[in-house]
Amino acid sequence: MINAYILLNMKPGDTDKPIAEMRKLKNVEKISVVAGEYDIVVRVKVSSLDILLKVTNKIQMIDGVEKTTTSIIEKEIAL
Amino acid sequence: MKIKIRRKYLFFTLAISSALIAALIAGIDTIATKEISDPGVLTLSCFILGVFVSFLIASILSIKIKGKTIGAMSIDPNFNGIRLFKKQEIIYLIITGFGNALFTLGYFYLLKDIGDASVVLPFTQVTILYLVIFESIAEKDTPTLIEVQSAIIVTFGAILGSISLGNGLSPVNLAVVFFVINPGWMIFTIYQRKLKLLKIDNKTNDAVNIRVWNVFFAMIISILFILIIDLYNGTNSIINCFKQTINYAWIMGIIAFGTFFNFIFYIRALGIGKASVTQAVKSSVIIFSIPVTIVLSLFGYEGLGSDPILLLIKFIGVVLIMLGISTFALTLTKAYIFIKIKPGYDLEETMEKIWNIKGVNRVCAVAGPYDFMVKVRTRTLVKGYERILSKIQEIPGIKEYKWQSVLKEWEDI
Repeated sequence: MINAYILLNMKPGDTDKPIAEMRKLKNVEKISVVAGEYDIVVRVKVSSLDILLKVTNKIQMIDGVEKTTTSIIEKEIAL
Repeated sequence: MKIKIRRKYLFFTLAISSALIAALIAGIDTIATKEISDPGVLTLSCFILGVFVSFLIASILSIKIKGKTIGAMSIDPNFNGIRLFKKQEIIYLIITGFGNALFTLGYFYLLKDIGDASVVLPFTQVTILYLVIFESIAEKDTPTLIEVQSAIIVTFGAILGSISLGNGLSPVNLAVVFFVINPGWMIFTIYQRKLKLLKIDNKTNDAVNIRVWNVFFAMIISILFILIIDLYNGTNSIINCFKQTINYAWIMGIIAFGTFFNFIFYIRALGIGKASVTQAVKSSVIIFSIPVTIVLSLFGYEGLGSDPILLLIKFIGVVLIMLGISTFALTLTKAYIFIKIKPGYDLEETMEKIWNIKGVNRVCAVAGPYDFMVKVRTRTLVKGYERILSKIQEIPGIKEYKWQSVLKEWEDI
């Protein structure tokens, strides 16, 4: 399994609609609306890089998403 | 289709469902104590039927439809069929089983003596205080003033909610409350949480298997308890226990059935929140137990007094509990910190250093524009700055960091 964070910059405007669309995506595990350099942080879980590409593609196709930055997790320590 | 809901709501849904079931079970417990007199017998038959019922439900939940178990679809997405306990779980399971047996024995003893679940249940909530103290000593996350405050409000509320005239609390009963029930429950909670946070074959541990094996170990330990008492007193109540279990299988079966789901929800909630916070939310059981007691008193089981002053005190207790719980709920802030490091510093070492900072929940080494993504949880932004950011600045090799406060969050359930 590959886990990755996708950092999103959004166009100014309504963010509720794009979030609602992201919530429907199957590989999306967590969506956090954040304040800072980015607007939304999405965590995805996929079985291959191929599928990761498909998911990022689906996300950047959503109306309102301006830019995506994907970071693949190499190692993780969590509670 | 999978649904994503806000993490906070999931946590509350789980903890409160658990409390609701617990209140209903407490009502049945009251009836059971009227039928079976010996608390030891009650405890043991509870666990024997618990093992039986848990294995039965877990096997049903293990049935796979389209490659996914029924359990994963309904109650815990991490459940992947019933399995044998793993080596790394054994010590935790023994300790959890011991805590569970201790708590159950004390609880039935008190319930037998007082005869009203809405009085006994609140006393079990003193655990929150124990948990807050324990967490400040042992866990990575020190309780803040708000947490300590809320815990105390909830505990006092619980004590007020349980005040009752006539059923005087003897020193023995109080000793049972403070030295048997609550320590037992504390051990039980802490180690259940540890089990839930374990990784089994690289996957998050599931609540169903934890529960199944916990009951199993609790049964073995309570058999040992009773055998020791038998040996000491020269009695043989163990045989009586088995006989009574068969006689009252119906009522103990219902209890075991409800308890199973009660704990599945509780264990899952523990996987999300801190032990003390989960317990605080679960103490809403007291609120639910009052209507249960009223219903029981309609059927001739003694219950709530009708003294208006007493009712007022109970009401104040309930208000305090709710206040304490909502304070807990509404004061958590979360953030991501994105970190870039300078060349020439060891990644794994730096990762370890970040992980050792209090309040850090997750550290991910990532490939992308940043080197680390860190998830932190804190009660206040001031504490977040003082305890977390200033510590991150101290770590050598960090070139740049970005703090992103989380405003809202959704998660897969």
